[in-house]
Amino acid sequence: MKGLLRNILPPPQWRLPVTILLGIFTGMGCYVFVISNAASYLSDKPETCMNCHVMTPQYASWLHSSHRRVANCNDCHVPHNNVVNKYFFKAKDGLRHSLWFTFRLEPQVIRIKSAGQKVVKDNCIRCHQPLLIDPEMQAVIKSDYYRNRVGRQCWECHRETPHGTVTSLSANPNAQVPTLSPVPSWLIKMMNEQKTKP
Amino acid sequence: MDTIKKRKPWFYWMLFIATAVIVFLLGMLAASITNRRAEKEYVYKPMIELKQGEPRNAEWGKNFPREYQSYLQTADTSFRSKYNGSAAIDMLEEDPRLVILWAGYAFSKDYSQGRGHYHAVDDIRNTLRTGAPMNGTPGPQPNTCWTCKSPDVVRLLGQMSPEEFYKGAWETRGPEIVNPIGCADCHDPQTMNLVITRPALIEAFKRQGKDIAGATHQEMRSLVCAQCHVEYYFDKHKTEGVSCLTFPWDKGFSADDIEKYYDSLNFSDWTHALSKAPMIKAQHPEYETSQMGIHARRGVACADCHMPYKSEGGQKFTDHHIQSPLNNIANSCQVCHREEESELIADVYERQDKIIESRNKLEVLLVRAHVEAKKAWELGATDEEMKDILSDIRRAQWRWDFSAASHGASFHAPIEISRIIADGIVCAGNARTRLAGLLEQKGVRSEIPYPDISTKAKAQQYIGLDMARLNAEKAEFKKVVIPEWIKQAAVRESKY
Repeated sequence: MKGLLRNILPPPQWRLPVTILLGIFTGMGCYVFVISNAASYLSDKPETCMNCHVMTPQYASWLHSSHRRVANCNDCHVPHNNVVNKYFFKAKDGLRHSLWFTFRLEPQVIRIKSAGQKVVKDNCIRCHQPLLIDPEMQAVIKSDYYRNRVGRQCWECHRETPHGTVTSLSANPNAQVPTLSPVPSWLIKMMNEQKTKP
Repeated sequence: MDTIKKRKPWFYWMLFIATAVIVFLLGMLAASITNRRAEKEYVYKPMIELKQGEPRNAEWGKNFPREYQSYLQTADTSFRSKYNGSAAIDMLEEDPRLVILWAGYAFSKDYSQGRGHYHAVDDIRNTLRTGAPMNGTPGPQPNTCWTCKSPDVVRLLGQMSPEEFYKGAWETRGPEIVNPIGCADCHDPQTMNLVITRPALIEAFKRQGKDIAGATHQEMRSLVCAQCHVEYYFDKHKTEGVSCLTFPWDKGFSADDIEKYYDSLNFSDWTHALSKAPMIKAQHPEYETSQMGIHARRGVACADCHMPYKSEGGQKFTDHHIQSPLNNIANSCQVCHREEESELIADVYERQDKIIESRNKLEVLLVRAHVEAKKAWELGATDEEMKDILSDIRRAQWRWDFSAASHGASFHAPIEISRIIADGIVCAGNARTRLAGLLEQKGVRSEIPYPDISTKAKAQQYIGLDMARLNAEKAEFKKVVIPEWIKQAAVRESKY
């Protein structure tokens, strides 16, 4: 243990610059954490998904759909079979999204990937199971009842649920969407006071 | 120290450079995040800069052509539902009993089902209720009547206090108010956020201890409508000589609570010409009644059904053709309800039919009560004898008017409206029982005949209105005064 520490610790004459550099590194890390609203990614708030403005059409169409009453983004787009899987999938999907977004690789029309499709479909079934599966029928028709009922993708028929078919990046130019600002409220207040001062 | 001594100096240089590179990249990431955040703020790039209080809807339309073009469709008058629609239906002709109920009040002269927002200014100029103020004689209405008609009101409220705006006779601001209800009434010109521009709503919230600034976006999608589609009255005591627009919500929202509020102020809009009852005119408590229904309880906002999402080409936007959802079932009802269009319409009509059936019965009782009270006065009834009767008539008609003037209420809140009408029928029944006793004391042995009010003209003649004169004056006013207003406004607007 001591040997390891000795290996990492810089020689005395290097300690000051290294401490400063590490301080810059940590501070920059904290800054990135704050301005990217990183903590918000642990929540289920739809505002979190709006951290990237390319999600505006998805948010706006959800807000105008009947699903807004019962489900937020995460209810459909992350798995809910267990909490570990939920955050694993969220982290995996989120990291990919942030990579694309940072390098401006987002396509004009964002389409769901097959892993996401599976999650969404499972979640359709999770809520709508009583509509889909009739236990009595299932008992009688043993062979392929379940597969017939849930085999297809729900949106093969329910094409407009809930985001509709018009979802390009420029589909909702004037949608009013909420934003999570990384600027703390007291600072905004202070800035507004400054502005109104003669 | 041995291990460290063994390392070559270049190792530390590498460590230094690697850390610096990582910090540099992290900085680039931070800059990128900030950059993309800023993008969000500048997604909306206006073609033209809109001034605070810009009243001309066409100017806003340059930035928002789709919203503006759909708004222009509120000019359409071709839709007719079973009871209402987008055309100006002469309601006094449809139901001449209204003339009797409003005898002594301007509504007995003229009352048409409202057209779309696009016609707001034309319609208030043309109605007989605003009279024909010419040659210096002040008209019957105050400037307060303009409050809900135009974004020019927003412009003027930016220059003066509400009291100053309300002050004076209606015709004095005629040249100022020319643009029909539009963009600036609900939107902030810079951010396009929904805003409350009318002081009466903000004041009403404040008096109830609520702050309207804390409303959510979804609540705002109803509250911007609640600036106008509400019950209101003119408070003439707040500032002496000024009709201050006030919402009577201090004791609550329901018909009973609002009545209690008016009673506590001893307030009446007018004294009935036949019965002499101190009447309250329900204006249009559409926001209040819509909040009493199941849709509001489930979080549905006015805009969800009256301004649903619309796709045009590859774009989606809020349909600013504000209209009856009965003319747009697919985008309103069927977003949530998976039934056939015809079935959904039948559901609405069923509620309307049944409530209007009861409301018509109350209306007949009210006509009879007014006529019987008139007879009692003629036979020398005293104020003391009439006091309770008039109070019953006031109560009954307030309930009738609350359910009739709230337009969509038989759909928005059918259960509450049925209760209010039932209550009204009881009040009217009480009035007529007392009247029967009183009339018998005065020697009346048979039923007072129901007047012949089969047409609007006959009803107006019955209450003694000189319609030929009113119409002639109005025609003259329209010919002389209104073109002058439009000319003056054009000169002003050319300087914007």
